[in-house]
Amino acid sequence: MTDQPVAPEMWAPAPRTAGAAEEIAAPSLTYWQDVRQRLWRNRPAMLGLTFIVLLVLAAIFGPMVSPHNYYEQDLKLSNVPPAFQTYTVTDGAGETARFFFNSGNLNLYEVTDDGRIAGLIRGKKDLIKKETLFAFGDAEVKLHTPTQTLSLADGTVLAPGGWQWNMSNLFGTDQLGRDVLARQLYGARISLTVAFVATLVNFFIGVFYGGLSGYLGGRADTIMMRIVEVISTIPLTLYVILIMVVFNSGFFSVIIAIGSVYWVDMARIVRGQILTLKQQDYVAAARTMGASTGRILTRHLLPNSIGPILVTLTMLIPSAIFIESFMSFIGLGVTPPEASWGTLTSEAVETLRAYPYQMFFPAAAISLTMFAFNFLGDGLRDALDPRLRT
Amino acid sequence: MTVYVVQRLALMLVTLFAIITLTFFLMHAVPGGPFVSEKMMAPEIQAALDAKYHLDDPIWLQYLNYLKSVAMFDLGPSFKYPGMSVNQIIAEGLPTTMQVGLLALICVVSLGVPLGIIAALNRNRWPDTLVMVIATFGVAVPSYVIATVALYIFALRLGWVPTFGIDDWRGYFLPVFALSGFWISFIARLARSSLLETLQQDYMITAKAKGLKPGQILFKHGLRNSLIPVVTVLGPVVANLLTGSFVIEQIFALPGIGRHFVLSITNRDYTTIMGITIFYAAILMLMIFIVDMIYLVLDPRIKYREAR
Amino acid sequence: MTAPLLQVTDLRTSFFTSRGEVQAVRGVSFELRPGEILGIVGESGSGKSVTCMSMLGLLKSSGRVVGGKALFEGRDLLALDDRELRELGGNDIGMIFQDPMTSLNPTLTVGEQVIETILRHRNISRAAARQRAIELFELVRIPSAAKRLRSYPHEFSGGMRQRVMIAIALSCDPKLLIADEPTTALDVTIQRQILALLKELQSRLGMAVILITHDLGVIAETADRVLVMYGGMVMEEAPVKALFAWPSHPYTRGLLASIPDLRDDTHHRLTPIPGSPPDMRRPPAGCPFAPRCPHAMAQCLAALPPVYEVEPAHGARCWLHHAEAPRVAGINQQVAA
Repeated sequence: MTDQPVAPEMWAPAPRTAGAAEEIAAPSLTYWQDVRQRLWRNRPAMLGLTFIVLLVLAAIFGPMVSPHNYYEQDLKLSNVPPAFQTYTVTDGAGETARFFFNSGNLNLYEVTDDGRIAGLIRGKKDLIKKETLFAFGDAEVKLHTPTQTLSLADGTVLAPGGWQWNMSNLFGTDQLGRDVLARQLYGARISLTVAFVATLVNFFIGVFYGGLSGYLGGRADTIMMRIVEVISTIPLTLYVILIMVVFNSGFFSVIIAIGSVYWVDMARIVRGQILTLKQQDYVAAARTMGASTGRILTRHLLPNSIGPILVTLTMLIPSAIFIESFMSFIGLGVTPPEASWGTLTSEAVETLRAYPYQMFFPAAAISLTMFAFNFLGDGLRDALDPRLRT
Repeated sequence: MTVYVVQRLALMLVTLFAIITLTFFLMHAVPGGPFVSEKMMAPEIQAALDAKYHLDDPIWLQYLNYLKSVAMFDLGPSFKYPGMSVNQIIAEGLPTTMQVGLLALICVVSLGVPLGIIAALNRNRWPDTLVMVIATFGVAVPSYVIATVALYIFALRLGWVPTFGIDDWRGYFLPVFALSGFWISFIARLARSSLLETLQQDYMITAKAKGLKPGQILFKHGLRNSLIPVVTVLGPVVANLLTGSFVIEQIFALPGIGRHFVLSITNRDYTTIMGITIFYAAILMLMIFIVDMIYLVLDPRIKYREAR
Repeated sequence: MTAPLLQVTDLRTSFFTSRGEVQAVRGVSFELRPGEILGIVGESGSGKSVTCMSMLGLLKSSGRVVGGKALFEGRDLLALDDRELRELGGNDIGMIFQDPMTSLNPTLTVGEQVIETILRHRNISRAAARQRAIELFELVRIPSAAKRLRSYPHEFSGGMRQRVMIAIALSCDPKLLIADEPTTALDVTIQRQILALLKELQSRLGMAVILITHDLGVIAETADRVLVMYGGMVMEEAPVKALFAWPSHPYTRGLLASIPDLRDDTHHRLTPIPGSPPDMRRPPAGCPFAPRCPHAMAQCLAALPPVYEVEPAHGARCWLHHAEAPRVAGINQQVAA
């Protein structure tokens, strides 16, 4: 074998930086840095988080900013759509009037140039001819009810102008003439408050119960976990309903009902974590080295169990929203005129035939929120699951 | 094995007992007391309730009486409808609820599982993305939204299916779809993640190293193990199909138990609320028991673990 | 000399992860003769398992063979399609894995897991396959074999499960048995039994064995020839006696110094190898061991050393064996006795 030539100075000992051998060549990340980085890179999760933050801000500040409130009724302006096609009529004096036709209730509404609704235009009904006559100065518009056509006195059919967004009520009004946007924002407030508070209540009950069970161990633990097992086979929605029946509908009943029932998963997780920790060598080690219980809890328990707890919490919030809306939908939620996404949806179902678009906003709000929490929850779970690391 | 079956049966009875007790005392805790005898109500109902529960008796005696009659499958008279018993109300609604519920359950299993498998086998390719997008949609959109939107589009707009009732076979489509949508998505997601996890197991590598064919590996070694978690959630799925029927039967005006239940809530028909709750709980316990038995067949480790 | 059963040339395997390409195996070459036991030793992450998994197409989905050849009886395993590989796997090549707890399917009886392998490769009836399974269980010394066929893996102890795995691997009389850390997950006493069983079966059935382990003690007892792997490369290759007598690579010496020798009563300290393995996403340009090597020279960081033949059939990938390299006692210089 012929050796390849090597310059003599290359035989000198390699330059050595202190501790170079101990250095792990890969850029190492702490667990939480890694989790944050994974979550950050998960686009749906970040989208979900952004949406949730915006939603919470809107729920807090929206009702303050809105010129309308959620309970003020104006039956003259009921069921106004969020956008409409406008018509214009010019009378003999040269005055131009702008209005739109609501085909759901066969009314005409005057519209200002900037898209605000000036008011309802009263017409004279002629039941025999199935016509309604509307006067604009000396001009007259005739609505033929069966065909829903608008025509002038000379018989020319009015053609609609362009689409105009409703600037008075951006999302339109409901059947009692309340502003849908204001109710929507208020509903977000109620739904989110119910969800967050109920989740927190569940969290505390779960942590307390699970923590106690795990801490006590032995027979107490066995009995407490048997109870959990029994509760977890009970169809909980039924119990939320029963509790609502006992306490009667209302905001606080909803919170109590949802908050008192869904803590079982949390209790299981916390107990599991405590049990593992009790057996873990490093906890024993920490104890031997004289760490206090508080220190063990904050330094060892929290960092280790926060992951699953966080995921459970993120998943509990949307199910609380879901159950609240479900309750409201079957008539057990918050009481009118208070609004939640559930009551808004069920109100919209009542008018589905005439005003199908009214379904859109509450349905979209609740679905998007569900999406957001699901994405965030999935993202968190993926980010926290060390098995997925590569 | 027998030990296991007996254990599950015992747990089931204990749970049922807990549910009856909880329901009874919850309903008796309603302020204003529906079970207080001075309440205004139709004399024949008063008479029936008196005969049944002796409303003047102390509450524990009423409780024992109620337990006894429930044990004999008698849920008592209706609180609001003279001459009707809760049993009759349930019997009236049962066929409808069962038909829709069973069809929904069949859809959940026969669509959810294959979708999950397809997604897992095509991980990160378009079938996976498609299934996951649909499934995320299904999990996020509440069933009543699906129901109303579907009702509007298919019944009101297109007129393909009737808007209410199931007298026509086409009437089943929307309720079953709305009821099962969430759970199809849920099961698809679960089956996907479960199969993905199974595929990473060491024994899957063993199966491959043994030279088994892909079909053998997937069906014999992969699916069986990955279906265990799916089977586990079938109990809760049935529970939720039942409670989901409250809304669906309402929207589609189906004469099922769920509709009676919602009606009895608005009417404050306390005995019916109690009766239907207990009936639902009993059905659920039965389902959970069946699921446990399937589990036993699928996972041999159970016999071992529980019998020790 | 007989023709090699397996001839691996310049095998390269990478894992393509979200954080870049991990070069797990970087040009591994070796030969295996029929009936020979080849030990592959190295610490975790050195690429020893990946080398074998690559040959049988058992890599996880992110792993890909990027180069090289692995001729098994003249056929290149790396060029075979899935169907052809399936004919070989479990048939001509049997494989045993590290953890017998997880490598058996928990929901099938162990008998079924043996029988399905036989039925897959042999055209015999189920009853005959069952008979064969009983024979195999007896061969690997599972007591009351016929009865145990109906048991599930969780009803077995770890050692018994590994016997089941061996029975599966041997079910079709393989010419090559790959044992990937077969004893690592077992108790020490059980390890001995399993190793003895493997060795006995090898001499009885005359197959070739590749034994992957991180335990030099296992190698010393079992193997005929040894590959020492580090950083996805073969650092030293030698007959087992030569390796222990004259370890010619600083890494091998490090490995030997870090295992206790009970026969040695001089009570000198065990010497750990400082540092940790290189990041295979950015493998060093020079010798992968250089950052941890006590004799590292400027040349070691600059260029990858070639394999030097220190004696017949004994090669070492180290610059110290260059003719002009400084002398280091024990590696390129005979230690005075």
